[in-house]
Amino acid sequence: MRFDFLELPGGASALTRPVVPVQIEDLDAAPQLCLVDTGSTANRFGSWLAEAVGIDLTGAPEERIAVGGLPTTARHGRAALTVAGVRYDAPVSFCDPWPFAFNLLGQEGFLRFFRVTICAADFWLEVEPERAG
Amino acid sequence: MTFRVSGRAFELDRQSVEHSVGTVLPAPISEHYVVVSGRRFPPKQVLSCATGLDRADFTTHQARRILQRLGFVAARVSETPAPELGREGEGPHDGRQAAALDPYGGKWVALGAPEEVLVAAETPQEVLAWLERHDRRATCGMFRVPETAAEAAGLAPL
Repeated sequence: MRFDFLELPGGASALTRPVVPVQIEDLDAAPQLCLVDTGSTANRFGSWLAEAVGIDLTGAPEERIAVGGLPTTARHGRAALTVAGVRYDAPVSFCDPWPFAFNLLGQEGFLRFFRVTICAADFWLEVEPERAG
Repeated sequence: MTFRVSGRAFELDRQSVEHSVGTVLPAPISEHYVVVSGRRFPPKQVLSCATGLDRADFTTHQARRILQRLGFVAARVSETPAPELGREGEGPHDGRQAAALDPYGGKWVALGAPEEVLVAAETPQEVLAWLERHDRRATCGMFRVPETAAEAAGLAPL
């Protein structure tokens, strides 16, 4: 499935970012635009999402990490994600604070499951499941 | 100014109307809208907030007329000319999407289409509540518009 890059206002010219809409659990009214981040080992989402969809992180393993140079507390859980029409169970680090514009799709919870082709010259990316289910 | 609505007299001025919708998210606009503090609202929503009356107590035309007399711009969606905001060759939508998002830096938005902002709010919870309340779907996704060019470029805040 092909997705256009997202255009962002950025002063003199628009900036474009490779984002993918991701449905978290059954929150189908509001797919979250997530940035494809090949440098991230895991999916990193704002912790408000866990609360919004009813994922209980009580007792979940947590660690202090730095994302983009910013310290945050990551609590590790799992969530049903739907990407490009495929629903799958994925590990997600829910982070607080999370002052970033986008959630991040990383290696373990996304790139392992999908083959991604990025064409920045024409502002699109294509996401295909590696295997069914 | 004093207005009679639904048999009752109301003292309204521009400031009190602006204040009444200060923290309110605009409902979906079907045809008519008024611009209050830089945001587009259905006229009946604004008058309802300003007077406390139920929206069924007056018509859209009454609301429009009163708000226009208070100096608010009123228009129809179909009268709005297509914006020429695009910057050729700067993205998959030629800069039109960036232009549509430009007023919403730092806000959470839900996109109904690549260039259509359904709702913008301070928190993601407000956006979700709005979508639920109005039975709408952010077909093109939900996210927070970066506040600065540096943030849009992927740099962490200092």
